[in-house]
Amino acid sequence: MNTVLLVNGLVGGIVFGAVYALIGASLNVLCGVLRIINFAHGEFILAGGFLAYVLLNAFGLNPLLALPIAAAAFFAAGYLLYFLLIPRLARSDEPETSSFLMMFGVSLMMVSTFIWIFEADVRPVNFSFDPINVVLFTIEDAYGEGRDGRVLVPTARLVALAVNAVIIAAMTWFLYRTLAGKAMRAAIMNREAVQIVGIDIHRLSASAFGLAAALAAVTGVLLTLVVPSIDPNGGADLTLIGFIVIVLGGLGHPVGALAAGILFGVVEQVSNVLLPQAAAQMLGFMILIAVIFVRPEGLFGKVRSR
Amino acid sequence: MHSSAAPRPVSDAPREGTIRRVIWYGLVLAVLVWCAAIPVLGGNLSLYFAMMMWVTLATGLNFIAGFAGYMPFGYVAFYGIGAYVTGIAVKIVGIPVYAAIPLAGAAGMLFALLVAPTLRLSGIYFAIVSLSLAVICQRIVSLLPDEITGGSLGIIIGVTTDREHGYYAMLLVLVAALVTASWLAHSRLGRALRAIRDDPEAADAMGVHVARSRLYAWLLATLFAALAGGVQAWFSGALDPQTAFDVLVTAKTVIYAMAGGLGTVLGPFVGTVVLVWVDELIWRSFPVLNNFLLGLIIVLLILFAPRGIVGSLMQRYPRLRAYIM
Repeated sequence: MNTVLLVNGLVGGIVFGAVYALIGASLNVLCGVLRIINFAHGEFILAGGFLAYVLLNAFGLNPLLALPIAAAAFFAAGYLLYFLLIPRLARSDEPETSSFLMMFGVSLMMVSTFIWIFEADVRPVNFSFDPINVVLFTIEDAYGEGRDGRVLVPTARLVALAVNAVIIAAMTWFLYRTLAGKAMRAAIMNREAVQIVGIDIHRLSASAFGLAAALAAVTGVLLTLVVPSIDPNGGADLTLIGFIVIVLGGLGHPVGALAAGILFGVVEQVSNVLLPQAAAQMLGFMILIAVIFVRPEGLFGKVRSR
Repeated sequence: MHSSAAPRPVSDAPREGTIRRVIWYGLVLAVLVWCAAIPVLGGNLSLYFAMMMWVTLATGLNFIAGFAGYMPFGYVAFYGIGAYVTGIAVKIVGIPVYAAIPLAGAAGMLFALLVAPTLRLSGIYFAIVSLSLAVICQRIVSLLPDEITGGSLGIIIGVTTDREHGYYAMLLVLVAALVTASWLAHSRLGRALRAIRDDPEAADAMGVHVARSRLYAWLLATLFAALAGGVQAWFSGALDPQTAFDVLVTAKTVIYAMAGGLGTVLGPFVGTVVLVWVDELIWRSFPVLNNFLLGLIIVLLILFAPRGIVGSLMQRYPRLRAYIM
């Protein structure tokens, strides 16, 4: 076995895993606080990516600078979208299933808007750091006597990983140390009780929707650094990854999603090295199904009492 | 779903039941005659074929989603398996297509049995697992050797019979699905399923065999998906993993069924007929915005008529319950 490839897979796994963790975290905010199963989450992410793409091409703006713009714009959009869609939805007989379907409709609308504006082609994002690659470390004698193997990582991916870590840390701090974050976690545990202690559930929910949309958009911007192209039809795959991560980590469990995301990313990337590509993708789903049958509450979740 | 949502035969006076049944079977008969006459009259065969297929799928989905309360977002898996079993049986094994269709139905039910443990999961977990299963099926089919499934390119079955034979086969499956639906609505099994959907613990306490009833509904639902997929492969003469396991098939099925009203026998039928026409109109007038408008319709439906056309009508005019099955 080639050690260099394996280590490369491992590093790539952590980079992708951190992105997956972020996808799972934002999806989890929606699932947990709002009981919304966001089928359009992948499209939210793509929208963030397209925003970075437009800013880069029109104004030459560095994607790192696009991050705060995307976050602010999508927080506002999500906040408004909440009042447009969700209070009415809550009146239906089965809000969870209905939300899944409604967001599927939203996803159809968004995909066709992307295709209308950007056409159905995969768009390259022409942005790179200098130097393009960083030698992370050297493995001595990897290819036999005297031929060292170098583990190369694109700089953009390392930057994305670093930013990702900062965002995750900030989010964890927000959820566990601030009043608003604590209120959101409380709403995950018991929506009714939160209202009894005097929290405006609509404002809280709208903020949660805004937060999730902002995180999704930020994920999209980071994703353009990790994979420098945007596919308007790629949203469904991202959504699926998000579902896998939150089910693995436990529905509505903020920290579980982080661990599950990294785990899934590493498994996927390492098995990409060891197995044919389609089989590697399948492995992720196999893990998901195995976990659901053995621990339906997720790897880190607690049994939900209804 | 709460009990108020379910249009049920309240204090079923026998006369009312008869009226409902006469109206329903009259409708089924009219559909049968109308669709059977289309090839003779030279109508649009493909459009009517699609219409019959979607009604079959929506009615089949209703068995598990409407009566039992499980939303299978991977419903397309059974449709795809039906299509592939038909393709492989005809093209590789060399069985006549008439024998391949029942085989497709059996294969769909077999797979349903295999994944029946997922019925232990509830609500959204079931939906996500079911969705993942469909994706796994698609990947497995593309991964299998080309001699068996044709890989990612799929299988060209070609012209096996007269096109109209495939059309009439779909009509047969459709009528079977509609008759099964009306039987289910008034059978012991149908009542058991609704009781379970509304309150599983209470149903269990009353002596309803919860797991077995759900399994029967699941098998019925998947049987019709597999049959529809098989006949579709026969009619179109070609299949590939992308279209045979397309998430849009599930989505459209769910939307059509919900648009009409899940849990009623008439709902999926009405919803499909209305929306397929709307879809066709949109497609003709705004080809670019087709999916956008479809998405918009879904959002509006969920927000403003979550019980569907038939469900909302029955809620507004309770007297209609005497006439609608």
